[in-house]
Amino acid sequence: MNILELRDISMIYGTVKALQDINLTVQKGEWVALMGPSGSGKTTLMNIIGCMDKASRGSVVLDGVEFSQLNAKQLTAIRRDKIGLVFQQFHLVPYLTALENVMVAQYYHSMPDEQEAMAALERVGLAERARHLPSQLSGGEQQRVCIARALINYPMLILADEPTGNLDEANANIVLRLFQELHQEGHTIIMVTHDPDVGKLAERCIMLDHGKIVQHSNRYEGVAKACVNG
Amino acid sequence: MFWQILKGSLVRQRQKMFMVAITIALGVSLTTAMLNVMLDVGDKVNRELKAYGANITVTPRSASILHDFYGVEAGGAGQYLQESELGKLKTIFWANNIVDFSPILETRAIIGQTASEITLVGTWFNHRLDLPTGETVETGIKQLKSWWSVEGNWVQESSQGAMLGSMAASRLGLQIGDEIDLVIPGSDRTAKVKIEGVFNSGGPEDEEIFVPLGLAQKLTNLPGKVGKIEVSAITTPENELARKAAHDPKSLSLKEWETWYCTAYVGAIAYQIEEAITGAHAKPVRQVAESEGAILQKTQLLMLLITVLSLIGSTLGISNLLTASVMERNREVGLLKALGADDTEVLVLTLSQILFTGIAGGFAGYFLGLGFAQIIGQTVFSAAVAAKPMVIPIVMVLVVLVTLTGSLPAIRMLVSLRPAEVLHGR
Ligand SMILES: Nc1ncnc2c1ncn2[C@@H]1O[C@H](COP(=O)(O)OP(=O)(O)OP(=O)(O)O)[C@@H](O)[C@H]1O
Ligand SMILES: [Mg+2]
Repeated sequence: MNILELRDISMIYGTVKALQDINLTVQKGEWVALMGPSGSGKTTLMNIIGCMDKASRGSVVLDGVEFSQLNAKQLTAIRRDKIGLVFQQFHLVPYLTALENVMVAQYYHSMPDEQEAMAALERVGLAERARHLPSQLSGGEQQRVCIARALINYPMLILADEPTGNLDEANANIVLRLFQELHQEGHTIIMVTHDPDVGKLAERCIMLDHGKIVQHSNRYEGVAKACVNG
Repeated sequence: MFWQILKGSLVRQRQKMFMVAITIALGVSLTTAMLNVMLDVGDKVNRELKAYGANITVTPRSASILHDFYGVEAGGAGQYLQESELGKLKTIFWANNIVDFSPILETRAIIGQTASEITLVGTWFNHRLDLPTGETVETGIKQLKSWWSVEGNWVQESSQGAMLGSMAASRLGLQIGDEIDLVIPGSDRTAKVKIEGVFNSGGPEDEEIFVPLGLAQKLTNLPGKVGKIEVSAITTPENELARKAAHDPKSLSLKEWETWYCTAYVGAIAYQIEEAITGAHAKPVRQVAESEGAILQKTQLLMLLITVLSLIGSTLGISNLLTASVMERNREVGLLKALGADDTEVLVLTLSQILFTGIAGGFAGYFLGLGFAQIIGQTVFSAAVAAKPMVIPIVMVLVVLVTLTGSLPAIRMLVSLRPAEVLHGR
């Protein structure tokens, strides 16, 4: 079943063509890695899928809803209800505890539920650190809080833009293991990464260059090759 | 959750918010001080200026014609006002602006002991007067001539007492406590009075003797009659319309006339006095009346100007601080938006934070302002300033207005802030 379908997506900033005629479909439960050199348009694409930007041209259909006709408020609602976001920088509210940071997402979605938020932190192995402020957590721990927050409203799609980009290897591995588990549980994930090893974990790897898809491999072996070459 | 975020962001930005609160407190304190001074000292200044005496004199019409045409003081029969009509002064349209008034009945008298002639003035000293409206006012020369310096006491209304001018006292060698006989020349009417007080007015009254009105009426055999009335009224400064009316009332159009009648010009008040009291001619003592109003109005204008400027200053200050504060928080706000907060929710959150700060600052500023008001009152007007309750709602409205206006640029930034731009560190 397709949950996401991009058709002829282009994004133009003045004279910069950040994306050109991108076509892509993502199935439920897939893990897609988005790779490519710096400036190739990965973040731009993630922003369009994540309802944080509108494409200059083309159509995005998520779960049967076409984005181009929607206003800002409706886009916010889709992001809130269907998408979980994880960023390269961890982006936690600095004066709220780990637990409260997870609850903020519940608050804007529906209702804060402390037990459920606690369970989400347990899921990422941070139950003991629930009452700590972000400044008291390591980078890896902060990113795990972000993942817990991204999961809390049962999103249909998880978007992660270089989630391990700011982490050392040990922490990156913990985070990646989490994503693997999520994938096994059936979550749909699109992840931007520069790391071929991370790319290998995904089922599919998409290479962007100058705003175009230059390589698209579906098979596991091909993935490794494509990503390593990129 | 809302409160946690609100509290957290307030605590985190406490320095900026503290500055915002201080800016508001300063603006509000000045506003509070000025408003209180304006409203309270306004009255007090007026009373102080009024100390220079009556600004309207009311005389019988026929007497005034004689005076105006031939320059003679009327002494003839029949030219008197009725004492019983004095209360009507407090029934005219501008009754509340009539602060004090006092009747005068003059005659020549001879002091038996020294065989010297003196002007005898019958008047109210501190008279309780029941008004047709059912109210009671206290009025008389004790209020009207508050600048007199008096040795001894003011005369009690019911007594057989008298107050002697200081010049007469020293010329005749009379002192407080002396009893004297007053004789009306060419009649057999006499009275024995005791000198209760000696006053110094700095004017021609210092050669005169003041007795209760009733006694003067008995001596002159003019029961219930009054020679003239001195009135002190708070007035609006003259303008073109007032001058036009003074020159020729008939030249006013109906609309102009209505405006004139319903403004507290000294001329309009005089006109209304004439309407109220039979056979009366009310004449403004113009210079005094005009300067009284003008000084007060200029003072109030100045205070209003300071208030407005200080509020504008506060608004600008707040607007800078809040813009900086929103810029500092843009990642956080972008994050909240990314997590699904819409513009309204972000606005409510930020405005709550700003209003909370504004109210705290306003509260502190109000009390600070009461203090300022006292300082201004004491140093500038030498009067204590009472806190006027009506200042509180005005200040509250101003706090909200100033904080909201000051937060407009910040609000615009918040609304236009796009999470994609701040979250990827571009
Ligand atoms: N708001 C914008 N205004 C103008 N140009 C932009 C804007 N956002 C992105 N671009 C341009 O679009 C192109 C793609 O940017 P994008 O951030 O998507 O790259 P990226 O693949 O995520 O790079 P990186 O790996 O460094 O994160 C770049 O050339 C960038 O300069
Ligand atoms: Mg990027």
